[in-house]
Amino acid sequence: MKPAPFEYCRPSTVDEALEALGSSESSRVLAGGQSLIPAMNFRLTDVSLLVDINRVEGLDAVTCDSGGVTVGAAATQTRVLEDDGAASVVPGLRAALRHVGHLQIRDRGTVCGSLAHADPAAELPAVAVATGAAIDVTGPAGERRIDAADFFHGPFWTALEDGDLITEVRFPAPPPRSVTIVDEICRRAGDFAVAGLVAVIEVDAGAVRSARLVGFGLGGVPTRLQAAEAAIGGWAADHPVVTLTEAVMADTTDAFDDIHAPNWYRGEAVAALTVRAALRALATEEEV
Amino acid sequence: MTIIEPISEANVEVTVNGRPHRHRVPARLLLSDYIRDTVGLTGTHLGCEHGYCGACTVMVNGDAVRSCLMLAVQADGAEVRTVEDLAPAGSDALSPMQQAFHDNHALQCGFCTAGFLMTLESVDPAEWRDPERLVELLSGNLCRCTGYQNIVAAVTEAWNAYDGSGGSDDG
Amino acid sequence: MSLDIDSHIRHSSRYVGRSVPRREDRGPLTGRGRYVADIKLPGMLEVVFARSTEAHARITGIDTSEAEALEGVVAVFCAADLSDVNTFPDYIPYIGAVRQRPLAEDRVRYVGAPYAAVVAVDRYIAEDGASLVAAGTTYEPLPTVADLDQALASGAPKLYDHWESNCSFDVAPHKPEVDRAFEEADHVFTETYVSQRQTGLPMETRGVVADMVDGTLTVWSSTQSPHMVRTTVALMLGMPEPQVRVIHPAIGGGFGTKTHIYPEDVVVPWIARRLATPARWIEDRMENLVASVHAREQRHDVEVAYDADGTIRGVRCASMLDMGSGEIFMPGTAPVFVTNACITGGYDFPNMEARTIGAVTNKTPAGAYRGFGIPEGAFVMERIIDRVARLTGTDRADLRRRMLLRPGQTPYVMHGGGRLDSGSHTESFERALEMSAPRLEQVRKRHAGDPDVRVGVGYANYVEPTSPSYHLTTGHWGGGDAATVRVDPDGSVRVAAGLSAFGQGAETTAAQLAADALGVSPQDVTVVLGDTERTPYGLGSWGSRGAMMLTGSVLLASERLLDKARAIAAHMLEAAEADVVLEDGAFHVAGSSRPSVSWAEVGTAAWVRVVDLPDGMEAGLETSGFYHPENLQHQLDDTGKINAAASWSNGTHIGIVSVRISTGEVTIEDYIVVHDCGTVINPALVEGQVHGGVAQGIAGAMYEHFQYDPDTAYPRFASFMDYLVPTCAEVPHMEVDHFESPAPEQPLGVKGCGEGGTVGPPAVVAGAVSDALSEWGVDLTECPVTPVAVRAALRAAEANRGGGSGAPP
Ligand SMILES: Cc1cc2nc3c(=O)[nH]c(=O)nc-3n(C[C@H](O)[C@H](O)[C@H](O)COP(=O)(O)OP(=O)(O)OC[C@H]3O[C@@H](n4cnc5c(N)ncnc54)[C@H](O)[C@@H]3O)c2cc1C
Ligand code: FES
Ligand code: FES
Repeated sequence: MKPAPFEYCRPSTVDEALEALGSSESSRVLAGGQSLIPAMNFRLTDVSLLVDINRVEGLDAVTCDSGGVTVGAAATQTRVLEDDGAASVVPGLRAALRHVGHLQIRDRGTVCGSLAHADPAAELPAVAVATGAAIDVTGPAGERRIDAADFFHGPFWTALEDGDLITEVRFPAPPPRSVTIVDEICRRAGDFAVAGLVAVIEVDAGAVRSARLVGFGLGGVPTRLQAAEAAIGGWAADHPVVTLTEAVMADTTDAFDDIHAPNWYRGEAVAALTVRAALRALATEEEV
Repeated sequence: MTIIEPISEANVEVTVNGRPHRHRVPARLLLSDYIRDTVGLTGTHLGCEHGYCGACTVMVNGDAVRSCLMLAVQADGAEVRTVEDLAPAGSDALSPMQQAFHDNHALQCGFCTAGFLMTLESVDPAEWRDPERLVELLSGNLCRCTGYQNIVAAVTEAWNAYDGSGGSDDG
Repeated sequence: MSLDIDSHIRHSSRYVGRSVPRREDRGPLTGRGRYVADIKLPGMLEVVFARSTEAHARITGIDTSEAEALEGVVAVFCAADLSDVNTFPDYIPYIGAVRQRPLAEDRVRYVGAPYAAVVAVDRYIAEDGASLVAAGTTYEPLPTVADLDQALASGAPKLYDHWESNCSFDVAPHKPEVDRAFEEADHVFTETYVSQRQTGLPMETRGVVADMVDGTLTVWSSTQSPHMVRTTVALMLGMPEPQVRVIHPAIGGGFGTKTHIYPEDVVVPWIARRLATPARWIEDRMENLVASVHAREQRHDVEVAYDADGTIRGVRCASMLDMGSGEIFMPGTAPVFVTNACITGGYDFPNMEARTIGAVTNKTPAGAYRGFGIPEGAFVMERIIDRVARLTGTDRADLRRRMLLRPGQTPYVMHGGGRLDSGSHTESFERALEMSAPRLEQVRKRHAGDPDVRVGVGYANYVEPTSPSYHLTTGHWGGGDAATVRVDPDGSVRVAAGLSAFGQGAETTAAQLAADALGVSPQDVTVVLGDTERTPYGLGSWGSRGAMMLTGSVLLASERLLDKARAIAAHMLEAAEADVVLEDGAFHVAGSSRPSVSWAEVGTAAWVRVVDLPDGMEAGLETSGFYHPENLQHQLDDTGKINAAASWSNGTHIGIVSVRISTGEVTIEDYIVVHDCGTVINPALVEGQVHGGVAQGIAGAMYEHFQYDPDTAYPRFASFMDYLVPTCAEVPHMEVDHFESPAPEQPLGVKGCGEGGTVGPPAVVAGAVSDALSEWGVDLTECPVTPVAVRAALRAAEANRGGGSGAPP
């Protein structure tokens, strides 16, 4: 399990990185390497040139203001996880990162790398969609900003074109008085989810006012649960659970089938997670 | 150091366990193989080479990382620490964590041990000592022999001794 | 065995029975453990194997030219190059002969079968070469057989043209008394129980380093049985055994997978001989998952005759083993026989008729895994008992109580001839029940308020054959081991044993035994294991045999040594031998104040100052003993029965689980083990074996499962992302207690404890989850118990009741 031969470079500016990326057919950005290097060790990925962005100046910043959190392409998951400011402005980040791999993975893996990699069972892409994140990309076609909702095209497939580099991602703060919950079913600690849910829920007077519900591990991309979002408005703890579960089941009829779970299970699991999230959000309001 | 032109071999300077090393290495050489074969420190083990088992965990600039998921060229200029650096030099003594592993029968075949020790070495006990957090921390390393129970006991004992809060009775 | 030393140690042991700290720890703790992959020899080349990417195919061409042209590649070898290598022997007469060649010739029968070896200056380049060989290989695909049903269907594609079908063996005893039980019983039910494909998965993969110097081939191998590797490599390469030396350095776990002798064990030494250069192959994890043996894939079709009061009158069980391609030496056929032999556990249940079938499929060859068939049988028996309890409204614990062997009922001969020499079957169960009762209450209370959670409890009572015969497994070897003990002129002791070890602490154990036998301290004992040149013959480490084999062989050799040492000391003390006693590490004349003679003085006389020896005594102080347990049988008797184990340990596991109904998630809240492995030499080591075994059992109960595509027999796994080895977060805390019922016929009463831990969990988890979900009538019949399996069972239960597909919320 050793990678096939490739060339390597380590630019120090974004321009140098872009130039290098453009110089070869199958060039790849190397960020944390926690997804790319395993794939290369298995010889599953053809790479002629690795462009290591870890020492590009200015890419490792994590900045917070009241409106959101901006994470640079070289900022590791651990840095974001440990950033108290980021956690208070966009609670979904810390909540999600706790489920991402293990300490040793997060010490190198990057937030932007996870978005670029677009594993359908990954947590961070779902957080990006749930919070309405904006992804800044620069490449042969110049700079552009892509909404998370438009970024994910399929499993391991995004709006990125050859030679593109994500420079940073901006996660906007969720509505005030909302509760963000990241919950998942996974087989072992640190595993990718069999199915999971990112929920940003606004609660008012003992009932759910509205919610953004994004499932992951369900299909090729993070999945907005639209029927469930419609059904959850006004839901309270003493309301029947089936209103929520049936809506989620309707949202997830074409979930994946693989060795980890059949599609019906994924639907049921996310339905259960949705109920759990709603109850937790309502309980949180009581505490406050 | 910046490398603008694509290269297939590079000179690297890596400090391993306090000693500087200079080598010319292929771009594709994994840090794990660099440590084991080039530098010759074989205490770091390879159990999967895809990031799951943790046997290859070493410290790079203070962080615990999977050495099988990093290239040797990426460690250029870095400080690397491996299991060989844990016991106090020039004596027969073990580090307190090594001693606790020994005292609690926390290793059998010993293949996973270096990875656990390096993960533990990299963290602040205060942050991870809560039993649930400790399990979360240890879940990044696989052990096939011990069923983990004695590893948890060893860490608990070592960390209790560390801040002098006295012996532990939970295992 | 009756040895003087035996009773001496039983009465006055100083080290046996204590948790003497391990001498094996320092290397791995400080990064100085030496495993096979750490061995580097001057000029050493790296070997990588090209492996089949087809499940069943004819190889129509291998173009090695591109690989050979690659800079750094030294050679590429295919089957034809190995014509001077013998075929792996087919020693067992009653199973289909597979005539395995070290490299596949023109036919591959599973994904992962090695068919070419690329030799290069480093591993990276060797892998580049192997990729080129793979790209240059053409196949003609053959129809595949992915499971037992496909294998045994009439007209199924055959794996071996010279066989009549894919059935390798079918042994079907007939018991009239079981027929009678079925005639008389009130009720009968039939069921199929399934145990899924798993593997031992040591954290260290396999590996071989070989070097041929001055006519001697030295092989460093990550094996559990170095002497057997030597015998086999010499045979395969046509070399005299003394010219082959096999060493196992530190071993990073084995768990049965490393008891087999694999193609690589032969091909790498052959390459070293052929190229006259050291060569090394280290299995990587991707290979390991397809190229090291799998295990445990069995199906059990049972018929159970029972009465309305819960009495189980008789059971017929057809146990079927999916052997994979069968291309492995030793064959992986024995576990299913062990399943049947042990299926009735510690229950007084003779009315069992067990048929044993094995069939080949296009999957990785099946072989040994810690537990070796016992967990599969325990699963079937415990599930049967739970079912009968449910069908008859009997309390599950009470029904077990009624069936368990009581004190005084041993020795007890089981349905297949296994002779339970002793044990604490009822006592262990009662103790475990006592331990679990308050915990069950606590767990129930903790979840009482949550409508989404149900709590259940599961039981397993089992027996563990220890120090078994290897004849049934190999058709060749038997079941004993040798040890040599020597006292050097300075009085230090050296023990060399044919046993080997991969983390169990055998060196520490051997030192404890020798220290007590010779009245010295363990620090004075040097232990040598795992090198055929420095140790006498032994079969290695498997079958929970380490403790008994070491005890038998070390004590036998020590007693012989002591006899001679006493004679020397008596001569030096000018006393009668009978008056000389060994006390505090020196020889005295009993009841006299004369100065004593130390081991160093005796050792010096024996080797150096031979003038101090009695007249006519041969110099030297080194003795050997070959221990073979007396009542261990290797062949079936006239009635088709056999006691193929030297002794039998036993145990009870009880697990308490909580199940989340909405998601199917299962949490093991408490896990209790009460076990009995006879006399304990080192309690800490025994407890460690229990912990590790239970963790592997839980892995099988809930996580690990090799799945294959039913249409193509292609593996649906490639990494640790889909073969789910449990982490610290999945293994519960275990509460362990024990009894000690000494093995009546074995030295010190030692039995063995290597495997028992793995046996309980599948039965316990399936039983506990079924109990938790009893209101829906769920009764699980297979593992792993995953969230999906739980939800599927709930949906099926609901559908049965006509509740539509909507499972309980
Ligand atoms: C044992 C293990 C467990 C894991 N568990 C989880 C988990 O539970 N959940 C989870 O979400 N992830 C998990 N991961 C994956 C981990 O989070 C990765 O870090 C992440 O998916 C990729 O980030 P990276 O920085 O490592 O990217 P890399 O591996 O460096 O790159 C991944 C891909 O993204 C591209 N890329 C990276 N950065 C950029 C950029 N700035 N611009 C353009 N393209 C870029 C690369 O070219 C490559 O194709 C796990 C990994 C391992 C090894
Ligand atoms: S070898 Fe690096 S994580 Fe397993
Ligand atoms: S001690 Fe063997 S894998 Fe942990």
